[in-house]
Amino acid sequence: MRLTRRSFIKASAATGGAMLAAGCAASKPATSAMGKTEKAKGEAAGKWMASTCQGCTTWCPIEIFVQNGRAVKVRGNQLSKANDGYCCVRGHLILQQIYDPDRIKTPMKRTNPKKGRGIDPKFVPISWDEATDTIADKLMELRKNNETNKYMLLRGRYSDQNGILYGDYTKMLGSPNNISHSSICAEVEKMGAYYTEGYFGYRDYDLDNMKYLIVWACDPLSSNRQIPNAIRRTNKVLENGTVVAIDPRMSNTAAKAHEWLPVKPATDGAVATAMAHYILVNGLWSKEFCGDFKDGKNRFVKGQSVNEADFDEKLTNGLVKWWNLVLKDTDPAWAAREAGIDKAQIERVARGFAQAAPNCAVWYGPNMQPRGTYAVMAMHALNGLVGATDSEGGLCTGMGAPSSSYPKIDDFQDPIAKAGTKNKKIDQRGYLNMPALKEGKSGGGVVTNNVPNAILASDPYDIKVAIGYFCNFNFSGTEGARWDKALAKLPFFAHIVPMFSEMTYFADIVLPSSLHHSEQWSSVRSKANLHGHVSIQQPVIDRMFDVRAPETEFVWMLSEKLAAKGFDNPLNWLKSFKDPETGKAPTTAEEFGLYAVKIRTQKAWDPAMNKDYKGDRPSSWTDFISKGIVNSPKFTFRKKWADGFKTETKKFEFYSVTLKKALEKHAEKHNTTVDKVLEVTNYEARGELAFVPHYEAPRRHGSRTAYPFDLIDMKSRLNREGRSANNTWLYSFKQCDPGDVNEQDVVQINPADARKLGIKDGDMVKVTSTIGSLKVKARLWEGVRPGCVAKCYGQGHHAMGRVAAKDITRAIARGANFNEIMPDDYDRLSGSTARNGGFTGVRVEKA
Amino acid sequence: MARYGMVIDLHKCTGCGACGLGCKTENNTDDRADGQTHNWADYRSVMSGTFPDVKFEMLPVLCNHCTDAPCVAACPVTPKAMHKNAKGITMHNSDRCIGCRMCQNSCPYSSTEIKDGSNDYSVISFNDFGKVVHARYQDQTEVIKGCTTSGAEIAKKAGMTPPHATSYEHPDYKSVRPDGVVEKCILCDHRLDNGQQPYCTTVCPSEARVAGDLDDPNSQASKLLKQYGGRRLKNNKGEFLGTSEKGAGPNVYYIRAYSARK
Repeated sequence: MRLTRRSFIKASAATGGAMLAAGCAASKPATSAMGKTEKAKGEAAGKWMASTCQGCTTWCPIEIFVQNGRAVKVRGNQLSKANDGYCCVRGHLILQQIYDPDRIKTPMKRTNPKKGRGIDPKFVPISWDEATDTIADKLMELRKNNETNKYMLLRGRYSDQNGILYGDYTKMLGSPNNISHSSICAEVEKMGAYYTEGYFGYRDYDLDNMKYLIVWACDPLSSNRQIPNAIRRTNKVLENGTVVAIDPRMSNTAAKAHEWLPVKPATDGAVATAMAHYILVNGLWSKEFCGDFKDGKNRFVKGQSVNEADFDEKLTNGLVKWWNLVLKDTDPAWAAREAGIDKAQIERVARGFAQAAPNCAVWYGPNMQPRGTYAVMAMHALNGLVGATDSEGGLCTGMGAPSSSYPKIDDFQDPIAKAGTKNKKIDQRGYLNMPALKEGKSGGGVVTNNVPNAILASDPYDIKVAIGYFCNFNFSGTEGARWDKALAKLPFFAHIVPMFSEMTYFADIVLPSSLHHSEQWSSVRSKANLHGHVSIQQPVIDRMFDVRAPETEFVWMLSEKLAAKGFDNPLNWLKSFKDPETGKAPTTAEEFGLYAVKIRTQKAWDPAMNKDYKGDRPSSWTDFISKGIVNSPKFTFRKKWADGFKTETKKFEFYSVTLKKALEKHAEKHNTTVDKVLEVTNYEARGELAFVPHYEAPRRHGSRTAYPFDLIDMKSRLNREGRSANNTWLYSFKQCDPGDVNEQDVVQINPADARKLGIKDGDMVKVTSTIGSLKVKARLWEGVRPGCVAKCYGQGHHAMGRVAAKDITRAIARGANFNEIMPDDYDRLSGSTARNGGFTGVRVEKA
Repeated sequence: MARYGMVIDLHKCTGCGACGLGCKTENNTDDRADGQTHNWADYRSVMSGTFPDVKFEMLPVLCNHCTDAPCVAACPVTPKAMHKNAKGITMHNSDRCIGCRMCQNSCPYSSTEIKDGSNDYSVISFNDFGKVVHARYQDQTEVIKGCTTSGAEIAKKAGMTPPHATSYEHPDYKSVRPDGVVEKCILCDHRLDNGQQPYCTTVCPSEARVAGDLDDPNSQASKLLKQYGGRRLKNNKGEFLGTSEKGAGPNVYYIRAYSARK
């Protein structure tokens, strides 16, 4: 015990010097003393106001408690069917985000033309007027030189108003380059459901009626992508059935689950195909969904091909083809060796899963690994094999929510703009080695992390003017040094952000963004728990600085400047956004911001439009705002079973005719073969194997001898999409990411491995990949598979603010951002950035 | 006198951090400094076994509002700053507190100093004499001069330090405590009388926490205890009292198991 001199004096005064005696007296606990005159008790007056959290991809309807103009507490929207009125831990962090001591409070401009990490940009404050005028000048110059395609818009976190700045406005300015963040996030997982059942999106789950849940390569209790609902309902499955987690590290779900399969990274495809093998050999597939042998005799025997004509297939396509091409040889014993887990466990899980069908689901995650497409196809194929897809108690595509269109741009896009948009997009999507086959289209998906490569190579051309908002690709992209170089090359970059991030370092103009959850009008749509929703974001507090909503107010201000310079199409388009209630055209940025949201959500709140809607029907805009949400009706199962899937065959495809067609079209575009495409995109499959879910050996950077450990990238449940590192509360409870340590940034290593390397808990270690080294504290942890090291994403900022960075002025990071040592690689079929599956080999040594 | 306590259902708990952080937003506790966590609601993780047969349990922790509270016995002032109120809550009166830390020293769930680099916790924290409370909101430094704000500026604009402080009134404690006093969970007594649960309980997304009078057989908390039995912590190392051990009579009970694995 520490007793300071002052405390002793204060104590002596209070006890008449008898402190020690009193302290030793074993007096009975006193029942309150002072309470003769009752003072006021309870919370000061305040109001819960509806908004939406975008701290992760759940997009939770929330409410913020406002006392005397201050935001003081956060909870889930009490009317939400997606979260039943609860937010996860991220919601509470909103308060520190609003009141962050390092928020940008004014537009600013760079005065040091030299750009680079650690080079002080020498920012000085400027007015909004000067800032938007400068940007408008740059855009007008592109128009003058007939090179409007050299404008690029980079979108990070967005709302349902993104269609303005990101969508139509880019076209009106004459550029094809609206680049989203999507493919550094989770695009691979969409390939699983798309190339089996024609659905390019995230699935929803009927947890209330589920008996067997396999959580695979994700951790729904902490991230991706309906967290409060997963927290609330996973324990029901734990109680009523079985929960299994498949992950090389002990995630939150793995900690709670009945079974944990700690597979070697990127061997998931082996386990999935082994489960399918076991299900077929043991006759456990859904006869109702897949069909059966004509004579009812199961001919699925290990190693033996089956005659397709013997099988009468129902709602699926190519089950026997899949067996003959892949499954006949993928027995659990083989997968157990490949994945480094127990054969009996694979069999037990396969059996339990199939026996619970259709009340079961494989809930798989991003799988952002170089050969991830085939792994997620194998995982999703299991959902088809047992008939869990589109079934009560299983999983489904989920519900949408009402939205209305913005005014069309047709009358506002002039010939210069039309010509400009016809150029190729900057990110090289659809190139031979980058198929990016979103929704079956060659070059259909964005390749975010390839943008710096394209800029540095000036291929297909160079970019001269860029605007980015709510993005920080230099930090969130792997091998981020490429972004540093590309942005240093970029002649003009404007960044609209609330905080000074790593990317902001390279900006010529910085504009302070309002915060979507508390300082602006916007709306979002999302889904969870079998309901979709449209949810409002509104200014719950007065702005403390002159910050603006990037997707609406900034657009208006820029358009006014463009109009003053003789280009009035954009402003005229914006003026056609009339208030649906009054018919009034907007006259200010603020009015435009509000009307855009009213227009987008009109179908949800306008009684004339929502009268036949089966979900919530607010009586007016005001009613909608006070409630903050419109819930859709509940999902109806088995419509797809009845009406067909959106695939080429209208069936659930085990043999993906949809993928075959997409690959053939891409090959044809480049006058080559599908096999050649697969060769240059680093997949192992050749021939027919390319069209069925199968296992591909992990693709890895670095030899096992020089880089013996597989690096696992994990996500923090306290990470507000990379934006909470300057919030002290993230550090207060960092141990809520199992294995991590409060107030620190650590790399998790199994104690057995650490012992061999002479590393003790808390030692600084140097972690080296083929592209670089980082120093970080080691945490010895039995929850990580030997041979792997796990590192949580989120820390290692050299910018952001005084908490996130060790020394912001000298660009010295606090902790380590392992994106810096993850090589730039892709699951090229989807165009997604690789960050999972242990694709980065690393060496660990005591620093 | 009632015996208010809490029942925490570990089967439902996912160790998500919402109770810990929710408490910070309700009770406006400071950031960790000088070996003090200032987390009235916190966590103790317990890991056992070796890979792959490992078991991880997350225990949400808070003041146990012990029946024979050593902190109350140790409080040297008269009348006591640390005392039991009519609900049986171990209440702390910050006006009478002299900051001697004898409560912190005597509490089996507290430590006078939490080491950096550990996930240890302490139920009672101490605001040292002369400490600037919520210092980050009094700092006038601008990281980018004239362009980014400062803690002091943003607190001034919001009109409060810390700017997100929840305002409430209670005869015994303030919504933001000054220097020179200890502080700990008071079971949100300012909420209980208004028919509300403690805020950690209200915000728990899995509804794993139930506060109530354990002497009232009809309280939800008592019913859960009757249904499942319960374990109580012995100290702040994650160890539980044996069936015959009474300890200080802690009134926070843990029911069921965190992990479904045997």
